[in-house]
Amino acid sequence: MQQIRVLIAKPGLDGHDRGALVIAQGLRDQGMEVIYTGLRQTPEQIVDTAIQEDVSCIGLSSLSGAHMELFPEVVRVLRERQADDILVIGGGVIPEADIPALQAAGIAMVFTPGTRIEDVASFIRSHVRLRDLADVPPVEPVAKQVDHIGIAVRSIAEALPFYTRHLGLTVDHDEIIPDQKVRAVFVRAGDLHLELLEPTSPDSPIAQFLDKRGPGLHHVAYRVDDIDRALEALKEAGVRLIDERPRPGGLGKRIAFIHPKEAHGVLTEYCQRTGEAAE
Amino acid sequence: MANLDERTRAWQERVERSLEQRPERKERFVNGSDIPIQRLYTPRDGVQTEEEYLEKLGFPGEYPYTRGIQPTMYRGRHWTMRQYAGFGSAEQTNQRFRYLLEQGQTGLSTAFDLPTQIGYDADHPMARGEVGKVGVSISSLADMQTLLQGIPLDRVSTSMTINAPASILLAMYLVVAEQQGVPWDKVSGTIQNDILKEYAARGTYIFPPKPSMRLITDIFEFCSKEVPHWNTISISGYHIREAGSTAVQEVAFTLSNAIAYVQAAIDKGLEVDEFAPRLSFFFNAHNDFFEEIAKFRAARRMWAKIMRDRFGAKSPRAQQLRFHTQTAGSTLTAQQPDNNVVRVTVQAMAAILGGTQSLHTNARDEALALPTEESARLALRTQQILAYESGLTDTVDPLGGSYYVEALTDAIEEAAWKYINYIDQLGGAVAAIEQGYIQQEIRRAAYDTQMAIERGDQVVVGVNRFTVEQERQPELLRVDPNIGRVQAERLAKLRAERAQEPVREALADLRAAAEGTANLMPKIIQAVRVYATLGEICDTLRQVFGEYRPAVF
Repeated sequence: MQQIRVLIAKPGLDGHDRGALVIAQGLRDQGMEVIYTGLRQTPEQIVDTAIQEDVSCIGLSSLSGAHMELFPEVVRVLRERQADDILVIGGGVIPEADIPALQAAGIAMVFTPGTRIEDVASFIRSHVRLRDLADVPPVEPVAKQVDHIGIAVRSIAEALPFYTRHLGLTVDHDEIIPDQKVRAVFVRAGDLHLELLEPTSPDSPIAQFLDKRGPGLHHVAYRVDDIDRALEALKEAGVRLIDERPRPGGLGKRIAFIHPKEAHGVLTEYCQRTGEAAE
Repeated sequence: MANLDERTRAWQERVERSLEQRPERKERFVNGSDIPIQRLYTPRDGVQTEEEYLEKLGFPGEYPYTRGIQPTMYRGRHWTMRQYAGFGSAEQTNQRFRYLLEQGQTGLSTAFDLPTQIGYDADHPMARGEVGKVGVSISSLADMQTLLQGIPLDRVSTSMTINAPASILLAMYLVVAEQQGVPWDKVSGTIQNDILKEYAARGTYIFPPKPSMRLITDIFEFCSKEVPHWNTISISGYHIREAGSTAVQEVAFTLSNAIAYVQAAIDKGLEVDEFAPRLSFFFNAHNDFFEEIAKFRAARRMWAKIMRDRFGAKSPRAQQLRFHTQTAGSTLTAQQPDNNVVRVTVQAMAAILGGTQSLHTNARDEALALPTEESARLALRTQQILAYESGLTDTVDPLGGSYYVEALTDAIEEAAWKYINYIDQLGGAVAAIEQGYIQQEIRRAAYDTQMAIERGDQVVVGVNRFTVEQERQPELLRVDPNIGRVQAERLAKLRAERAQEPVREALADLRAAAEGTANLMPKIIQAVRVYATLGEICDTLRQVFGEYRPAVF
């Protein structure tokens, strides 16, 4: 994983930088890359440095009582520069009563005297992580949308009325998929389908699923434009696949399954619509 | 004494044997300065012979002043109880001053806000959010007049924590005294005026070191002639310690800075016995009771040696280290704030047993905000209880001769000399600061302390041990958030109403003097008198001197 970059900044005229320096060193020892602004920084200067240095977190320190004016100002300038995805945290001599207002102004967390560096580091890690991950742009958007959600049932005849009668959905398609030994009924729900899956043979993968886990959510399928390339990309990235090559699915689609471990317990499917089924 | 050595050895052996059953709490005992602490001190430690007593300790009021600078110390008069105060507007601080004087405080100590300390008027963009926060906002003589309203300057001595613009605030004070009809040779007080520790630890510098040293020595020269009872500098270890240094570093870096000031004054042609009696010091009183007491005693002895042997000072006053003490703000905890009263008491006792000339005791709520009136009073009461009820004050240097305290005094002195010698090798304090040496030493010590606390090796009651689930939130002092706007409006009015020509003239005069070598004090006094603002005066000097930009180490 990439090193988290943090800017430790002293807004205003306050010269007490013991805390700022200790935190800077401590976060470095926690494996982060830390830039320290030095004293007497205006909110504008702090935001400039943060953007130039491409940090994911700004830590503001003030012991002079100017935090109510200067901390929110940093967040405001970040928004103005469209850089408000940078996590902002603060510390110093800050009365408990001021903290809710600072949080409302966009300071994610305020650390008061006596805080352990480890706690600051883990806060930063857990809060910039999402941003970092979301930040990695895919080479091209692969999954266009959810194509369908597969639901394993023991009997379509028994399961279907819930969707039609109570949810008021309609059946689009009904077919036997010999490759998977299932009968699949596609129920339209807005832009996507629910695919009710009933085993046609005791050695069907769906039968095994039902034996082990009972009826319920079976898989989520994402629509891709080019399933061969999409699978190739996953293989290169070391993602575990169930199907290395596409195979025929319902509605004439070409499908492939990705190992559920990769999606933290969700069986994931890629599917590509072919000419006959394209809408 | 052979008997003593034998019995000591036998005792040690017995103890060592019993350690297997009853081990000590730690394998190794060391203090914050990394000085090992023995299990026991005996007559073999510290001062042993009469010759050694006379050489190392002597008598109170006599060289090397280890036992105190006055012969009778607190039997004659208690230390000055001087609580640092200031916030918001000059009116508010004036009220707090009068309150403290009514409560029995014996001297004033002024806290200025950061814009004032860094030479910005209250309406400067850099002052945003900072006006009146950590001290009183003073932008012109008019504010100083309000601040000192009704306070008799011939009877009350005032300490001002002001450094880079010290000349300007002193000038304002002198003009107000003049307007009260008090001649300058009757006013007394202190300006901090210690720029070197600003670069090293506190951060309120304006100008680069060279012109800053000139401003300081100009004050030395001016006051030795015009304001003879003014303490022209308070060379401060306090902030060095607050920034994280050890006790040994505090002594060493402070005395190194002091050496630099004395040298600068001598280089300017001033006579050491004339200006040195007005030098004073400011130290921190931290948690380790005996280490602190030993620190104060070591500092006194070292300064006497430095002044006599290094600078050839003959006047006793020039050899005496007089100091103010403040209890350690950095030891106060936001958690269970009432615990701080106990910490402050222990620290204050160390300062008293160390022979301080004046004392500020911190208030319990200072890790949370500026003190409320109630907690400021409790802090003052702490001193009064120690002074009037504890008996600490009935004899001079009660711990003199303690095996432990004397051994520790020697150990601190020895370790501090090593630093001072090394700083001399680097080219003195100014060079050591420019090279970042002092900053890095402080930073390392600060980090070590933090790590020791996080590991739990260093216990902070209420923080990493003996914590409570629900902290009760005390009432805190809130500074009026409108103070910045109010001050700005007041300043605009002043600038509009004053006579402009004299201001222009005074500033032009000041500029010309700054470009040359004349003493700047008379020019600054003139500018202040015609209501030139602090910011205008500092800007004039900034144009000539430039501004200090620290390297980031």
